[in-house]
Amino acid sequence: MPDIITCFKWAVDEADIRPQASGEVALDRVGYKISEYDRNALEAAAQLKEAHGGSVTAITVATPAAKKGLKDALSRGPDRACFVNDAAFDALEPAQTAALLAGVIRDRLPFDLILCGEGSSDLYAQQVGPRLAQELGIPCVTYVNRITLEGSTLLAERKLEDGIEVVKVELPALVTVLPDINTPRIPGLKDTLEASKKPVQSVGPGEAGGEFPARLQTVALRATSMERRCVRFPADDAGIRELVEALRKSGAIG
Amino acid sequence: MDFRLTEEQELIRANIREFCQQYLDPIAVEIDENSRHPQEVFDRLAEMGFMGMPYPQEYGGAGTDFLTYAMVVEEISRSCAGTGFTFSCHTGLGTGPIYEYGTEEQKQKYLVPLCKGQKWGAFALTEPGAGTDVNAATTVAVADGDEWVINGTKTFISQGTFADIFIVFARTDPAAGPKGISAFIVTKDNPGLKVGEHFRKMGIRCSQTAEIILKDCRVPRSDMLGKEGNGLRMAMASLDNGRIGIAAQAVGILQAALDESLKYASQRIQFNKPIGRQQAIQWMIADMATDLAAARHLTYHAATLKDQGLPYTKEASMAKLFASEAAMRHASKAVQIHGGYGYMKGQKVERLLRDAKITEIYEGTSEAQRMVIAGNVMR
Amino acid sequence: MMAGIWVVAEHADTALELLTPARQVADSLGGPVVAVWLGRQEAPPLFAHGADEVLVCTHGGDDQPLEAQVPVLVAEALQAQPEAILVGASLRGREVAARMAAALGTGLGSSCVALRVRTDGLVEMDRLVFGGRAVQTVVCTTRPQMATVAPRTFSPAPPVEGRSGTVRTLPAPPPSPVTVVERKPKPAVSGDVAGARVVVCVGRGMEREEDLEMARRLADILGGEVGCTRPIAEEYHWLPEHTYIGLSGQQVKPELYIGIGVSGQIQHVIGITDARVIVAINRDEKAPIFEMSDFGIVGDLYQVVPRLVDELTRALGK
Repeated sequence: MPDIITCFKWAVDEADIRPQASGEVALDRVGYKISEYDRNALEAAAQLKEAHGGSVTAITVATPAAKKGLKDALSRGPDRACFVNDAAFDALEPAQTAALLAGVIRDRLPFDLILCGEGSSDLYAQQVGPRLAQELGIPCVTYVNRITLEGSTLLAERKLEDGIEVVKVELPALVTVLPDINTPRIPGLKDTLEASKKPVQSVGPGEAGGEFPARLQTVALRATSMERRCVRFPADDAGIRELVEALRKSGAIG
Repeated sequence: MDFRLTEEQELIRANIREFCQQYLDPIAVEIDENSRHPQEVFDRLAEMGFMGMPYPQEYGGAGTDFLTYAMVVEEISRSCAGTGFTFSCHTGLGTGPIYEYGTEEQKQKYLVPLCKGQKWGAFALTEPGAGTDVNAATTVAVADGDEWVINGTKTFISQGTFADIFIVFARTDPAAGPKGISAFIVTKDNPGLKVGEHFRKMGIRCSQTAEIILKDCRVPRSDMLGKEGNGLRMAMASLDNGRIGIAAQAVGILQAALDESLKYASQRIQFNKPIGRQQAIQWMIADMATDLAAARHLTYHAATLKDQGLPYTKEASMAKLFASEAAMRHASKAVQIHGGYGYMKGQKVERLLRDAKITEIYEGTSEAQRMVIAGNVMR
Repeated sequence: MMAGIWVVAEHADTALELLTPARQVADSLGGPVVAVWLGRQEAPPLFAHGADEVLVCTHGGDDQPLEAQVPVLVAEALQAQPEAILVGASLRGREVAARMAAALGTGLGSSCVALRVRTDGLVEMDRLVFGGRAVQTVVCTTRPQMATVAPRTFSPAPPVEGRSGTVRTLPAPPPSPVTVVERKPKPAVSGDVAGARVVVCVGRGMEREEDLEMARRLADILGGEVGCTRPIAEEYHWLPEHTYIGLSGQQVKPELYIGIGVSGQIQHVIGITDARVIVAINRDEKAPIFEMSDFGIVGDLYQVVPRLVDELTRALGK
């Protein structure tokens, strides 16, 4: 009967990112959603609970405006939510998020297993999961597309570049999941209605224990042009080389 | 008036939208072409608790307000108006009268499976010779011992081919005019009930529309719905409620027309720029967005009045009249924006135009709505 | 005293590529370039490509994952105090880097696509965010400055004859709490155009069904799938219907779309607007697809595609 914590981010909906004429990214008119990969983590937690019992606690670190995300998360299966929030939490870098989560979890939330998405669908730094495991001093298994639980032993299939790596670990542990681990459920009407009745524990920054300085500073955020570039290369060897180089520079190959 | 949705309503809207994108959009062209009822979609909707959603949980519903229900009809219709209609017709006309007028016994027996999506409901009022002029109905019910014996023909009955439970209106007192009509619950397995072939329609082709023939159809007295002679009043009240559903369906069509137009206008290049940069297109889109907002406000307003227990007949008629005519107008504009491609089969805007037309006709034509509205404002 | 730039990689190609920016950073900030070889295979010629010092990990048994090296790397980094650590952004590399950064109490720029050294000694790191819609530039305000770098972001550092240095073997790590039970090599991929990262799309410019092989070769080398325009599936039946892209077919959103012999009719183009990078190869310079492509080559696909395959084979080291 594992006690599971599932972490989620109330993330900017990347589909709402539109380049301004100035090349800046306007973040004042965007919608928010539960980060896509975290939906997979929530679903994995719900499925583990259905199979093994226990409990599921959803946790997020965000500004108070993310309150809306709590109901969304709770409608996807968790029993309760922990809402670590402060107005200053609007641009946390992964080290801060992980430290805050670790502080709160260590003091308040007993657990056997922590589930995270492999990264967030907005910034996709893929750091919070492994950093959180390191902060808590527990084993970490990343990029998992299948979880099997046998008592306190967890078997996981990691999908890596060179194939599948099946690993075994004793709980407590942290697992980050890939999108193909499951198809997240679309909450039914009753799931949404019942989500409002589930308990939410609100935690302020002062209660998370310690300081959480930023170690990474964003110095610029520029929109990539959505207009097609319409660059043409000649149909000779040099042109083809230039094309491959251009593809490499744009990150399209590799 | 404030139509800001609650967090719950926003989540429900987002979820039903995701559901439609995942399960309905991919089959919408096929069910239109083949006039196929997408039962698999409704099985999922039932599993997710959407069927019977505005009715109390004790009867298998979800106990939401009517505004949330209207929003769900709108979102389903945005994806496929035929499916949105089947949903609203079952939930509104096929289920509502039993909730409003049924005895506790009738509710347990019929309402619960209707709300859970285990049984399909249908509303059998229209006759070949009695459309808007409901009082011209000739179907009769004659008392015979513990039973009523019904004879007559009903036409354009939605869900007719597969409904399990029909609410049939028949004249029980030929001398009493409008006060001589009563309602009955007739089940599919009644040997006196024959269902004809489903009609081939211009639009909402996945909705199954059929004629039903009642020949010496015997129903127990306990299956009369509401009071004897009260049928026409019940039918009219049910249609008020149903009109919000049709208005919501038209709002969904309007939204889809706008969605498609915006997408196409930004992608179609003519004269070296997207056609959306032409003022001619911008004006069409501005009008479309404005009428969409107006139609939605009227519809949500009528639903809110109903939720508050206030009279809403006039508002429901206004919402249906405005939304359906706006849907027709702008579905046509959406085809115009798409040019020749918009006229091709398999295009969503082509389907929207065909689907929009019926919203001006059923559950009271635009002319009938104007009669209702005039009757309310000129008294 | 902060000293040196570390390069940490599990793959030979990545190690040699990372030596390129490492050398640039070291030239600006001073200190040696230290290559930390994470791989189980023999290390590539790291000295020849610019490393001043090479550290080699000691691996445990087959049941030990690569990530078991984290405690050793952390201890060594605490000792050596490098100014910056660049880690190859393989999936394992990303976990290793994030855990090292946490243990070292420092910041990490993930999956960077460009690095620049500022005059104040901070390395500006560019990374794609919001599904590729924006570029975020970050700097690390603590030491070591850490970054993971996407494979093939940099060209491999050129070899210099006669360079050599000392190889130091790192101590064996403690047994990992995570143990490997089984390794299954990657199965062959096939079929899903809609979810593919790279889509090679065939249009009517292709003359014969057997020429599809050319498109397949191009897709294979890029780890992608072959799709087509509607006529190829519905009129010619060269490819199954679920592979045609467009208004009534599949909507695709790959990182890279390459249209070969695709003219760019609107019904098709609507299905590819979410592609991040669009490449068109078509004989007709007036073909509408060029208007909505990032990169185009006006030419005979039968001439261009085979040469593109050769060039990509070379560039991707396959």
